[in-house]
Amino acid sequence: MFPLPPTASHNGAKSKAQQDDLGGLIEREHLPSGRADLPEPLIAHSQRERILNAMAATCAAKGYGATTIADVCEPAGVSRATFYELFKDKEDCLQASMELSLADAMGRIVEVYSPDKPWATMVRDAAATFLDLLASRPDFARMALVEAPAAGGRSLEMYASGKRVLQALLDRGRGDPIEEQGIPSSAGRGALAAAESLIVSQILAGNTERLPELLPDIVYIITIPYLGQDEALRQSREAEKTLRSGAG
Amino acid sequence: MAARGEKQGERWRPPRGRHGLPPEIVARSQRERLLEATMEVVAEKGYGPTTVADLTKRAGISRTTFYELFEDKEACFLAAYDDAVDTLVRLISSAYEAEERWPDRARAGLAALLEALAAQPEQARLALVDVSAAGPAAQRRYRAAIGRLTPFLDEGRDFAPGGRTLPANVSRMAAGAVVGLVADELIAGRAEELPGLLSDVLFATLVPYLGPDAAAREVAEENR
Repeated sequence: MFPLPPTASHNGAKSKAQQDDLGGLIEREHLPSGRADLPEPLIAHSQRERILNAMAATCAAKGYGATTIADVCEPAGVSRATFYELFKDKEDCLQASMELSLADAMGRIVEVYSPDKPWATMVRDAAATFLDLLASRPDFARMALVEAPAAGGRSLEMYASGKRVLQALLDRGRGDPIEEQGIPSSAGRGALAAAESLIVSQILAGNTERLPELLPDIVYIITIPYLGQDEALRQSREAEKTLRSGAG
Repeated sequence: MAARGEKQGERWRPPRGRHGLPPEIVARSQRERLLEATMEVVAEKGYGPTTVADLTKRAGISRTTFYELFEDKEACFLAAYDDAVDTLVRLISSAYEAEERWPDRARAGLAALLEALAAQPEQARLALVDVSAAGPAAQRRYRAAIGRLTPFLDEGRDFAPGGRTLPANVSRMAAGAVVGLVADELIAGRAEELPGLLSDVLFATLVPYLGPDAAAREVAEENR
Protein backbone atom coordinates (compact mmCIF):
# COMPACT_ATOMS: atom_id res chain seq x y z
CA MET A 1 0.00 0.00 0.00
CA PHE A 2 1.05 3.58 -0.50
CA PRO A 3 1.64 4.98 2.94
CA LEU A 4 -0.37 8.02 1.85
CA PRO A 5 -4.06 8.83 1.71
CA PRO A 6 -5.58 9.69 -1.67
CA THR A 7 -4.77 13.19 -2.79
CA ALA A 8 -6.88 15.38 -4.99
CA SER A 9 -3.89 17.02 -6.60
CA HIS A 10 -4.01 17.71 -10.31
CA ASN A 11 -1.30 18.01 -12.87
CA GLY A 12 0.21 21.41 -13.18
CA ALA A 13 1.48 23.94 -10.70
CA LYS A 14 0.78 23.15 -7.09
CA SER A 15 -0.30 25.67 -4.51
CA LYS A 16 1.42 25.58 -1.16
CA ALA A 17 -1.65 23.94 0.35
CA GLN A 18 -1.66 21.25 -2.33
CA GLN A 19 2.00 20.57 -1.82
CA ASP A 20 1.36 20.01 1.85
CA ASP A 21 -1.63 17.87 1.00
CA LEU A 22 0.65 15.62 -1.04
CA GLY A 23 2.52 14.75 2.09
CA GLY A 24 -0.69 13.35 3.51
CA LEU A 25 -0.13 11.18 6.53
CA ILE A 26 3.48 12.18 6.75
CA GLU A 27 3.00 15.91 6.54
CA ARG A 28 5.61 17.92 8.31
CA GLU A 29 3.02 18.88 10.92
CA HIS A 30 2.71 15.31 12.01
CA LEU A 31 6.21 15.29 13.36
CA PRO A 32 6.67 17.06 16.66
CA SER A 33 8.71 20.19 16.13
CA GLY A 34 11.35 19.13 18.63
CA ARG A 35 12.60 16.06 16.85
CA ALA A 36 15.34 15.20 19.27
CA ASP A 37 13.39 12.36 20.83
CA LEU A 38 12.35 10.76 17.55
CA PRO A 39 14.41 7.79 16.48
CA GLU A 40 16.61 8.56 13.43
CA PRO A 41 15.08 5.95 11.07
CA LEU A 42 11.59 7.34 11.62
CA ILE A 43 12.60 10.83 10.50
CA ALA A 44 14.49 9.43 7.54
CA HIS A 45 11.49 7.32 6.59
CA SER A 46 9.15 10.28 6.41
CA GLN A 47 11.74 12.40 4.61
CA ARG A 48 12.10 9.63 2.07
CA GLU A 49 8.38 9.51 1.51
CA ARG A 50 8.11 13.28 1.21
CA ILE A 51 10.81 13.17 -1.44
CA LEU A 52 9.07 10.36 -3.34
CA ASN A 53 5.83 12.33 -3.32
CA ALA A 54 7.58 15.47 -4.46
CA MET A 55 9.31 13.50 -7.21
CA ALA A 56 5.98 12.20 -8.53
CA ALA A 57 4.37 15.64 -8.32
CA THR A 58 7.23 17.43 -10.06
CA CYS A 59 7.49 14.82 -12.81
CA ALA A 60 3.77 15.16 -13.38
CA ALA A 61 4.07 18.93 -13.67
CA LYS A 62 7.16 19.28 -15.87
CA GLY A 63 8.31 15.82 -16.95
CA TYR A 64 11.14 13.70 -15.56
CA GLY A 65 13.77 15.08 -17.93
CA ALA A 66 13.25 18.68 -16.84
CA THR A 67 12.97 17.82 -13.14
CA THR A 68 15.96 18.88 -11.01
CA ILE A 69 16.98 17.78 -7.53
CA ALA A 70 16.23 21.31 -6.33
CA ASP A 71 12.67 21.02 -7.72
CA VAL A 72 12.18 17.91 -5.59
CA CYS A 73 13.84 19.16 -2.39
CA GLU A 74 11.86 22.39 -2.21
CA PRO A 75 8.31 20.95 -1.90
CA ALA A 76 9.63 17.99 0.13
CA GLY A 77 11.10 20.42 2.63
CA VAL A 78 14.45 18.66 2.73
CA SER A 79 17.97 19.85 2.06
CA ARG A 80 20.10 18.74 -0.87
CA ALA A 81 22.36 16.96 1.58
CA THR A 82 19.42 14.94 2.92
CA PHE A 83 18.38 14.03 -0.61
CA TYR A 84 21.82 12.62 -1.35
CA GLU A 85 21.88 10.74 1.93
CA LEU A 86 18.74 8.90 0.87
CA PHE A 87 19.18 8.62 -2.91
CA LYS A 88 22.18 8.28 -5.14
CA ASP A 89 20.77 10.59 -7.80
CA LYS A 90 17.60 11.62 -9.59
CA GLU A 91 17.30 8.30 -11.37
CA ASP A 92 17.66 6.36 -8.13
CA CYS A 93 14.81 8.44 -6.71
CA LEU A 94 12.59 7.75 -9.73
CA GLN A 95 13.30 4.05 -9.41
CA ALA A 96 12.40 4.06 -5.72
CA SER A 97 9.17 5.85 -6.52
CA MET A 98 8.45 3.34 -9.28
CA GLU A 99 9.20 0.42 -6.99
CA LEU A 100 6.77 1.71 -4.39
CA SER A 101 4.01 2.32 -6.95
CA LEU A 102 4.47 -1.04 -8.58
CA ALA A 103 4.44 -2.94 -5.29
CA ASP A 104 1.29 -1.10 -4.31
CA ALA A 105 -0.53 -1.73 -7.59
CA MET A 106 0.45 -5.38 -7.69
CA GLY A 107 -0.50 -5.89 -4.05
CA ARG A 108 -3.98 -4.56 -4.71
CA ILE A 109 -4.47 -6.56 -7.87
CA VAL A 110 -3.32 -9.79 -6.23
CA GLU A 111 -5.77 -9.02 -3.42
CA VAL A 112 -8.77 -9.14 -5.79
CA TYR A 113 -7.35 -12.05 -7.72
CA SER A 114 -8.79 -15.37 -6.70
CA PRO A 115 -8.76 -18.68 -8.59
CA ASP A 116 -12.28 -19.33 -7.24
CA LYS A 117 -13.82 -16.43 -9.14
CA PRO A 118 -14.82 -16.83 -12.77
CA TRP A 119 -11.93 -15.55 -14.91
CA ALA A 120 -13.94 -12.68 -16.41
CA THR A 121 -15.01 -11.47 -12.98
CA MET A 122 -11.40 -11.54 -11.86
CA VAL A 123 -10.36 -9.45 -14.88
CA ARG A 124 -13.13 -6.94 -14.20
CA ASP A 125 -12.29 -6.62 -10.50
CA ALA A 126 -8.58 -6.28 -11.17
CA ALA A 127 -9.13 -3.66 -13.89
CA ALA A 128 -11.52 -1.69 -11.67
CA THR A 129 -9.04 -1.77 -8.80
CA PHE A 130 -6.22 -0.59 -11.02
CA LEU A 131 -8.21 2.26 -12.58
CA ASP A 132 -9.45 3.42 -9.16
CA LEU A 133 -5.90 3.41 -7.82
CA LEU A 134 -4.61 5.49 -10.75
CA ALA A 135 -7.50 7.94 -10.45
CA SER A 136 -6.86 8.46 -6.76
CA ARG A 137 -3.15 9.26 -7.32
CA PRO A 138 -2.83 11.26 -10.54
CA ASP A 139 0.81 12.19 -9.93
CA PHE A 140 1.90 8.64 -9.28
CA ALA A 141 -0.18 7.44 -12.22
CA ARG A 142 1.70 9.73 -14.52
CA MET A 143 5.06 8.94 -13.01
CA ALA A 144 4.54 5.17 -13.22
CA LEU A 145 2.86 4.95 -16.63
CA VAL A 146 4.49 7.81 -18.51
CA GLU A 147 7.71 9.09 -16.97
CA ALA A 148 9.27 5.88 -15.65
CA PRO A 149 9.00 3.91 -18.90
CA ALA A 150 10.21 6.99 -20.84
CA ALA A 151 13.27 7.30 -18.62
CA GLY A 152 14.53 3.93 -19.85
CA GLY A 153 17.02 1.83 -17.89
CA ARG A 154 15.86 0.08 -14.74
CA SER A 155 12.65 2.12 -14.51
CA LEU A 156 11.62 0.81 -17.92
CA GLU A 157 12.58 -2.71 -16.87
CA MET A 158 10.40 -2.45 -13.78
CA TYR A 159 7.54 -1.22 -15.93
CA ALA A 160 7.99 -4.10 -18.35
CA SER A 161 8.15 -6.64 -15.53
CA GLY A 162 4.92 -5.22 -14.10
CA LYS A 163 3.26 -5.82 -17.45
CA ARG A 164 4.58 -9.38 -17.54
CA VAL A 165 3.08 -10.09 -14.12
CA LEU A 166 -0.30 -8.75 -15.31
CA GLN A 167 0.02 -10.89 -18.42
CA ALA A 168 0.73 -13.98 -16.33
CA LEU A 169 -2.31 -13.26 -14.15
CA LEU A 170 -4.46 -12.89 -17.27
CA ASP A 171 -3.13 -16.06 -18.81
CA ARG A 172 -3.80 -18.05 -15.69
CA GLY A 173 -7.15 -19.72 -15.50
CA ARG A 174 -8.44 -18.79 -18.91
CA GLY A 175 -8.75 -22.43 -20.07
CA ASP A 176 -7.14 -23.92 -23.16
CA PRO A 177 -4.16 -22.10 -24.61
CA ILE A 178 -5.54 -19.76 -27.25
CA GLU A 179 -2.86 -20.82 -29.73
CA GLU A 180 -4.81 -24.07 -30.13
CA GLN A 181 -7.70 -22.09 -31.58
CA GLY A 182 -5.53 -20.54 -34.27
CA ILE A 183 -5.12 -17.31 -32.31
CA PRO A 184 -1.64 -15.75 -32.18
CA SER A 185 0.17 -16.12 -28.85
CA SER A 186 0.65 -12.33 -28.83
CA ALA A 187 -3.13 -11.77 -28.54
CA GLY A 188 -3.07 -11.28 -24.76
CA ARG A 189 -0.09 -8.93 -24.95
CA GLY A 190 -1.84 -6.95 -27.69
CA ALA A 191 -4.98 -6.65 -25.56
CA LEU A 192 -2.99 -5.37 -22.62
CA ALA A 193 -1.16 -2.89 -24.87
CA ALA A 194 -4.53 -1.68 -26.14
CA ALA A 195 -5.74 -1.02 -22.60
CA GLU A 196 -2.46 0.60 -21.61
CA SER A 197 -2.52 2.93 -24.59
CA LEU A 198 -6.04 4.14 -23.80
CA ILE A 199 -5.14 4.72 -20.14
CA VAL A 200 -1.95 6.63 -20.95
CA SER A 201 -3.65 8.85 -23.51
CA GLN A 202 -6.26 9.76 -20.90
CA ILE A 203 -3.56 10.54 -18.34
CA LEU A 204 -1.75 12.79 -20.83
CA ALA A 205 -5.02 14.51 -21.68
CA GLY A 206 -5.41 15.37 -17.97
CA ASN A 207 -8.36 13.00 -17.47
CA THR A 208 -6.72 10.78 -14.85
CA GLU A 209 -9.57 11.23 -12.37
CA ARG A 210 -12.01 9.87 -14.94
CA LEU A 211 -10.09 6.68 -15.69
CA PRO A 212 -12.60 4.45 -13.84
CA GLU A 213 -15.14 5.29 -16.57
CA LEU A 214 -13.03 3.32 -19.04
CA LEU A 215 -13.83 0.03 -17.30
CA PRO A 216 -16.35 -1.24 -19.90
CA ASP A 217 -13.92 -0.55 -22.76
CA ILE A 218 -11.02 -2.19 -20.98
CA VAL A 219 -12.97 -5.27 -19.94
CA TYR A 220 -14.08 -5.67 -23.55
CA ILE A 221 -10.63 -5.43 -25.12
CA ILE A 222 -8.95 -7.70 -22.58
CA THR A 223 -11.56 -10.47 -22.62
CA ILE A 224 -12.39 -10.62 -26.34
CA PRO A 225 -9.40 -12.71 -27.52
CA TYR A 226 -10.17 -15.30 -24.86
CA LEU A 227 -13.96 -15.31 -24.59
CA GLY A 228 -15.19 -14.22 -28.01
CA GLN A 229 -17.19 -11.16 -29.00
CA ASP A 230 -20.62 -11.99 -27.54
CA GLU A 231 -19.27 -12.85 -24.12
CA ALA A 232 -16.86 -9.88 -24.13
CA LEU A 233 -19.78 -7.54 -24.91
CA ARG A 234 -21.79 -9.11 -22.10
CA GLN A 235 -18.88 -8.64 -19.68
CA SER A 236 -18.47 -5.06 -20.85
CA ARG A 237 -22.14 -4.35 -20.12
CA GLU A 238 -21.76 -5.96 -16.71
CA ALA A 239 -18.83 -3.63 -16.05
CA GLU A 240 -20.97 -0.67 -17.06
CA LYS A 241 -23.62 -1.75 -14.57
CA THR A 242 -21.03 -2.08 -11.81
CA LEU A 243 -19.83 1.38 -12.67
CA ARG A 244 -23.30 2.93 -12.53
CA SER A 245 -24.24 1.21 -9.28
CA GLY A 246 -20.90 2.23 -7.80
CA ALA A 247 -21.36 5.85 -8.86
CA GLY A 248 -25.00 6.14 -7.88
CA MET B 1 26.04 5.58 -39.33
CA ALA B 2 28.64 6.65 -41.81
CA ALA B 3 26.34 5.98 -44.74
CA ARG B 4 24.01 8.72 -43.59
CA GLY B 5 26.78 11.26 -43.49
CA GLU B 6 27.80 10.38 -47.04
CA LYS B 7 24.27 10.54 -48.33
CA GLN B 8 24.04 14.07 -47.13
CA GLY B 9 26.31 15.30 -49.90
CA GLU B 10 23.95 13.95 -52.53
CA ARG B 11 20.97 15.85 -51.26
CA TRP B 12 19.96 18.82 -53.34
CA ARG B 13 20.85 22.23 -52.00
CA PRO B 14 20.41 25.62 -53.52
CA PRO B 15 23.69 26.82 -55.00
CA ARG B 16 25.71 29.08 -52.76
CA GLY B 17 26.15 32.77 -53.47
CA ARG B 18 23.95 34.73 -55.84
CA HIS B 19 21.68 32.16 -57.41
CA GLY B 20 18.51 34.17 -57.91
CA LEU B 21 16.26 31.58 -56.22
CA PRO B 22 13.23 33.07 -54.50
CA PRO B 23 13.88 33.27 -50.73
CA GLU B 24 10.86 31.14 -49.82
CA ILE B 25 12.21 28.22 -51.90
CA VAL B 26 15.55 28.48 -50.14
CA ALA B 27 13.83 28.61 -46.76
CA ARG B 28 11.69 25.58 -47.55
CA SER B 29 14.64 23.48 -48.58
CA GLN B 30 16.51 24.57 -45.45
CA ARG B 31 13.53 23.63 -43.30
CA GLU B 32 13.16 20.24 -44.96
CA ARG B 33 16.85 19.50 -44.56
CA LEU B 34 16.71 20.55 -40.94
CA LEU B 35 13.69 18.35 -40.16
CA GLU B 36 15.31 15.35 -41.81
CA ALA B 37 18.59 16.00 -40.01
CA THR B 38 16.78 16.34 -36.68
CA MET B 39 15.16 12.90 -36.90
CA GLU B 40 18.53 11.40 -37.89
CA VAL B 41 20.59 13.05 -35.18
CA VAL B 42 18.08 12.53 -32.37
CA ALA B 43 17.70 8.87 -33.39
CA GLU B 44 21.47 8.46 -33.17
CA LYS B 45 22.30 10.51 -30.08
CA GLY B 46 19.09 10.62 -28.09
CA TYR B 47 17.03 13.75 -27.51
CA GLY B 48 18.71 14.92 -24.30
CA PRO B 49 22.32 15.01 -25.56
CA THR B 50 21.41 16.52 -28.96
CA THR B 51 22.32 20.20 -29.29
CA VAL B 52 21.18 22.84 -31.76
CA ALA B 53 24.76 22.84 -33.06
CA ASP B 54 24.44 19.12 -33.91
CA LEU B 55 21.33 19.87 -35.91
CA THR B 56 22.67 22.87 -37.84
CA LYS B 57 25.87 20.99 -38.65
CA ARG B 58 24.05 17.96 -40.05
CA ALA B 59 21.56 20.09 -41.97
CA GLY B 60 24.29 22.39 -43.26
CA ILE B 61 22.55 25.57 -42.14
CA SER B 62 23.65 28.45 -39.94
CA ARG B 63 22.63 29.00 -36.36
CA THR B 64 20.90 32.21 -37.41
CA THR B 65 18.83 30.31 -39.96
CA PHE B 66 17.91 27.74 -37.33
CA TYR B 67 16.53 30.40 -35.02
CA GLU B 68 14.69 32.04 -37.91
CA LEU B 69 12.91 28.73 -38.43
CA PHE B 70 12.41 27.51 -34.85
CA GLU B 71 12.41 28.92 -31.36
CA ASP B 72 14.46 26.09 -29.85
CA LYS B 73 15.47 22.43 -30.08
CA GLU B 74 12.13 21.21 -28.79
CA ALA B 75 10.09 23.15 -31.33
CA CYS B 76 12.31 21.82 -34.09
CA PHE B 77 12.05 18.23 -32.85
CA LEU B 78 8.26 18.41 -32.56
CA ALA B 79 8.01 19.70 -36.13
CA ALA B 80 10.37 16.96 -37.33
CA TYR B 81 8.33 14.37 -35.47
CA ASP B 82 5.04 15.53 -36.95
CA ASP B 83 6.63 15.54 -40.39
CA ALA B 84 7.85 11.94 -39.97
CA VAL B 85 4.39 10.88 -38.76
CA ASP B 86 2.79 12.62 -41.77
CA THR B 87 5.01 10.58 -44.08
CA LEU B 88 4.08 7.31 -42.34
CA VAL B 89 0.36 8.11 -42.44
CA ARG B 90 0.58 8.93 -46.16
CA LEU B 91 2.24 5.56 -46.81
CA ILE B 92 -0.39 3.72 -44.77
CA SER B 93 -3.19 5.62 -46.45
CA SER B 94 -2.16 4.92 -50.02
CA ALA B 95 -1.72 1.19 -49.32
CA TYR B 96 -5.04 1.10 -47.48
CA GLU B 97 -6.96 2.90 -50.21
CA ALA B 98 -5.73 0.45 -52.85
CA GLU B 99 -7.85 -2.36 -51.37
CA GLU B 100 -11.61 -2.91 -51.21
CA ARG B 101 -12.73 -5.03 -48.25
CA TRP B 102 -11.90 -3.55 -44.85
CA PRO B 103 -9.81 -6.50 -43.59
CA ASP B 104 -7.76 -6.35 -46.80
CA ARG B 105 -7.38 -2.59 -46.43
CA ALA B 106 -6.20 -3.07 -42.84
CA ARG B 107 -3.70 -5.71 -43.91
CA ALA B 108 -2.28 -3.51 -46.69
CA GLY B 109 -2.00 -0.48 -44.41
CA LEU B 110 -0.30 -2.45 -41.66
CA ALA B 111 2.13 -4.09 -44.09
CA ALA B 112 3.11 -0.64 -45.40
CA LEU B 113 3.65 0.61 -41.85
CA LEU B 114 5.81 -2.37 -40.86
CA GLU B 115 7.94 -2.13 -44.01
CA ALA B 116 8.52 1.59 -43.57
CA LEU B 117 9.58 1.12 -39.96
CA ALA B 118 11.83 -1.84 -40.77
CA ALA B 119 13.61 0.23 -43.42
CA GLN B 120 14.69 2.82 -40.82
CA PRO B 121 15.22 1.00 -37.51
CA GLU B 122 16.74 3.90 -35.58
CA GLN B 123 14.09 6.38 -36.59
CA ALA B 124 11.40 3.77 -35.95
CA ARG B 125 12.64 3.40 -32.39
CA LEU B 126 12.70 7.16 -31.96
CA ALA B 127 9.19 7.53 -33.38
CA LEU B 128 7.59 4.83 -31.23
CA VAL B 129 9.76 4.37 -28.13
CA ASP B 130 12.31 7.07 -27.35
CA VAL B 131 10.01 9.94 -28.28
CA SER B 132 8.54 9.78 -24.76
CA ALA B 133 11.89 10.82 -23.28
CA ALA B 134 11.68 14.16 -25.13
CA GLY B 135 9.26 15.69 -22.61
CA PRO B 136 5.54 16.20 -22.07
CA ALA B 137 4.85 17.90 -25.40
CA ALA B 138 6.53 15.06 -27.30
CA GLN B 139 4.56 12.51 -25.29
CA ARG B 140 1.34 14.18 -26.35
CA ARG B 141 2.47 14.23 -30.01
CA TYR B 142 3.16 10.51 -29.78
CA ARG B 143 -0.35 9.83 -28.48
CA ALA B 144 -1.77 12.08 -31.18
CA ALA B 145 0.20 10.06 -33.75
CA ILE B 146 -1.42 6.83 -32.50
CA GLY B 147 -4.76 8.60 -32.78
CA ARG B 148 -4.15 9.16 -36.50
CA LEU B 149 -4.59 5.42 -37.06
CA THR B 150 -8.14 5.46 -35.70
CA PRO B 151 -9.94 6.74 -38.84
CA PHE B 152 -8.71 3.66 -40.72
CA LEU B 153 -9.93 1.44 -37.89
CA ASP B 154 -13.31 3.13 -37.52
CA GLU B 155 -14.29 1.64 -40.88
CA GLY B 156 -14.22 -1.70 -39.05
CA ARG B 157 -17.42 -0.62 -37.34
CA ASP B 158 -19.24 -0.43 -40.66
CA PHE B 159 -17.78 -3.73 -41.81
CA ALA B 160 -18.50 -5.72 -38.62
CA PRO B 161 -22.07 -7.02 -38.20
CA GLY B 162 -22.45 -5.63 -34.67
CA GLY B 163 -20.08 -2.73 -35.18
CA ARG B 164 -22.45 -0.08 -33.90
CA THR B 165 -22.78 -1.69 -30.48
CA LEU B 166 -19.04 -1.85 -29.72
CA PRO B 167 -17.57 0.19 -26.84
CA ALA B 168 -16.71 3.80 -27.62
CA ASN B 169 -12.91 3.54 -27.56
CA VAL B 170 -12.47 0.40 -29.64
CA SER B 171 -10.54 2.09 -32.45
CA ARG B 172 -8.29 3.95 -30.05
CA MET B 173 -7.50 0.67 -28.30
CA ALA B 174 -6.92 -1.31 -31.51
CA ALA B 175 -4.43 1.36 -32.63
CA GLY B 176 -2.75 1.12 -29.23
CA ALA B 177 -2.43 -2.65 -29.57
CA VAL B 178 -0.72 -2.35 -32.96
CA VAL B 179 1.72 0.27 -31.74
CA GLY B 180 2.36 -1.61 -28.49
CA LEU B 181 3.22 -4.85 -30.29
CA VAL B 182 5.50 -2.99 -32.70
CA ALA B 183 7.19 -1.12 -29.83
CA ASP B 184 7.92 -4.42 -28.06
CA GLU B 185 9.83 -5.59 -31.16
CA LEU B 186 11.72 -2.29 -31.42
CA ILE B 187 12.73 -2.42 -27.75
CA ALA B 188 13.96 -5.98 -28.31
CA GLY B 189 16.09 -4.73 -31.22
CA ARG B 190 14.15 -6.62 -33.89
CA ALA B 191 13.19 -3.70 -36.15
CA GLU B 192 14.37 -5.42 -39.32
CA GLU B 193 12.08 -8.36 -38.64
CA LEU B 194 8.96 -6.20 -38.27
CA PRO B 195 7.35 -7.34 -41.55
CA GLY B 196 7.10 -10.80 -39.93
CA LEU B 197 4.81 -9.29 -37.29
CA LEU B 198 1.99 -8.75 -39.81
CA SER B 199 -0.18 -11.69 -38.64
CA ASP B 200 0.02 -10.53 -35.02
CA VAL B 201 -0.82 -6.87 -35.66
CA LEU B 202 -3.53 -7.78 -38.17
CA PHE B 203 -5.16 -10.05 -35.61
CA ALA B 204 -4.91 -7.31 -32.95
CA THR B 205 -6.54 -4.87 -35.40
CA LEU B 206 -9.40 -7.12 -36.48
CA VAL B 207 -10.27 -8.89 -33.22
CA PRO B 208 -12.16 -6.05 -31.50
CA TYR B 209 -14.47 -5.72 -34.52
CA LEU B 210 -14.82 -9.30 -35.75
CA GLY B 211 -14.14 -11.44 -32.68
CA PRO B 212 -11.28 -13.96 -32.37
CA ASP B 213 -12.58 -16.69 -34.69
CA ALA B 214 -13.32 -14.46 -37.67
CA ALA B 215 -10.13 -12.47 -37.09
CA ALA B 216 -8.08 -15.69 -37.03
CA ARG B 217 -9.75 -16.80 -40.29
CA GLU B 218 -8.91 -13.50 -41.98
CA VAL B 219 -5.30 -13.74 -40.83
CA ALA B 220 -5.04 -17.36 -42.04
CA GLU B 221 -6.46 -16.40 -45.43
CA GLU B 222 -3.95 -13.59 -45.85
CA ASN B 223 -1.14 -15.99 -45.14
CA ARG B 224 -2.23 -18.50 -47.73
